[in-house]
Amino acid sequence: MDNTEKQKILAEFISEGEKEQAIASLTTWSIETSFKEVIFEVLEPLLITWGKLWMQGKLSLAHGYISGKVAEEFYVIASGNEEFNIATKENKGTIVLGNIEDDFHPLGRRLVKIFSQAMGWNMIDLGNDIPAEVFVEKAIENKADIIAISAMMFTTAKNIIKVRKELDTLKLSGQIKLAVGGAVFKLRPELVTEIGGDGTADTAIEAPQLFERLLKTEDL
Amino acid sequence: MNGLERVIATLAGKDTDCQPFTMLLSLYGACLTKSNTNDYYRDPNLWFLGQKAVVQTFDPDILIAPFSIPTEAEAFGSELIYLKNYPPNIKKPVITDLSQIDGMQMPDYHKSPSINFFLQSTSLLADSFSKTKAIGAPLLSPCDIPALLMGIEMWIDTLLFHKQEAALLIEKMKHHFIRMGNEFLARGATFLIVPVNFTNPMIITEKIFNQLLPSLEKAFSQIKGPIVIHNGGCKIMPFIDRFAKLPNVVAMVLEPRESFEEARKIIGEKMLLMGNFDGPNFVNLSKEKAIEISLKILNDRKDDKHFIFATSNADIPYDTPIETIKAVVESIRNFKK
Repeated sequence: MDNTEKQKILAEFISEGEKEQAIASLTTWSIETSFKEVIFEVLEPLLITWGKLWMQGKLSLAHGYISGKVAEEFYVIASGNEEFNIATKENKGTIVLGNIEDDFHPLGRRLVKIFSQAMGWNMIDLGNDIPAEVFVEKAIENKADIIAISAMMFTTAKNIIKVRKELDTLKLSGQIKLAVGGAVFKLRPELVTEIGGDGTADTAIEAPQLFERLLKTEDL
Repeated sequence: MNGLERVIATLAGKDTDCQPFTMLLSLYGACLTKSNTNDYYRDPNLWFLGQKAVVQTFDPDILIAPFSIPTEAEAFGSELIYLKNYPPNIKKPVITDLSQIDGMQMPDYHKSPSINFFLQSTSLLADSFSKTKAIGAPLLSPCDIPALLMGIEMWIDTLLFHKQEAALLIEKMKHHFIRMGNEFLARGATFLIVPVNFTNPMIITEKIFNQLLPSLEKAFSQIKGPIVIHNGGCKIMPFIDRFAKLPNVVAMVLEPRESFEEARKIIGEKMLLMGNFDGPNFVNLSKEKAIEISLKILNDRKDDKHFIFATSNADIPYDTPIETIKAVVESIRNFKK
């Protein structure tokens, strides 16, 4: 069976919500070939294709959610495989990710994590309701290149200003880039600069491109 | 003809004196009365004053009871955040662990301020206008409200991987839906508006939707009046055939990018179709552009006797220029079928 056929089978399992069967198939194929091949030639191309379809409104959020769960759980299995760890592609950079203080809408953040991981970023997910100082503290601790913050509403987006202030105070602005995202930034793009963001992406699938752009940008 | 007569005639496919219309101006009433939105979405009298101003200014054929679905979730304990010039939104869902579902209590329908806001506002609206205008009362379906009680991610996870808990929560919400829905109708609402924010093809898979259908059928069949399916900000076309067959469903509000012609091919000529001017986008349009979009919709439906012009998606924003809305209303009223 070639990798295209494997992608088709995997897509079918995920569409049907058969998470366990999807993971079992990925594991079986990895034993037959290698984790490296299955992740880079089967799973990740499918995630990228599905991300694009989702962006076009051709797949549901639930499709994105199941594929993310499958990827997450399979990455854990693969991380126990020595050959895979040696062969893992080059890390593009480290990103500390989370929902800002008072924000409890995790779905966008989780999708950003999935797509960015698939594109080679080391993602450190802090979760929901994260205070500004924790973002900066964790970024320093993990030598992060970017802090990526999700906020759904105007009121919570305003809390991101505190992260910018914290970065300014510690003279880290420019060294650690600040990416922001969430529904409110699509409605009010001017908010990105108002709250001190260095950039935004309209959708989760576009986030890895934003991160690459930010790293290429000189001190902002 | 008055608004109610126009709506009834359109439902029956009969001629009307002019094109009937409605707009989601639940929030805009606060703008017209210069009300603080924090108070507006708490106080039925203040909300009603806003809707009286909507009638005086725009005179739509259908009035819409409070459109604030997070407030419905608040009745169960979800925490809201009140925003200046916006409707409230969910800050923190009430369910954080599936074990909470079993012991979850229904709201006290006599004491809950959230429930009281909906019911009192509907009564005030109906007492003044139910003889001259149709009144639609928005209410989330038992398969949609769980997303506001636990957050959309947890709800999708529950639907996919914890089917028993999902069924239990839907069953509890079914009782709430039937009770609230029939209470709205008893207080004078002409029909229910059920926004399918979370049971649409942009949120769930077809397999999940088909699994939810029996619960929707049971719940809808116990409503003592007509039901309008509202797109809830998402496309509904791939599921529209099944929505149309649900008990008591008489109309659909399409999403702005959806085609009436395509809908007609799927569900036939008799079902009332509404839409599909993008309400939230009103604020970004010049008067001329808004009129152009309205006329395009009206011309598209020129020969459709089962059509009501309506805004789709969420509320018309607070800061939309009044002249833009008035210009659209005028273009609808002057349109000759």
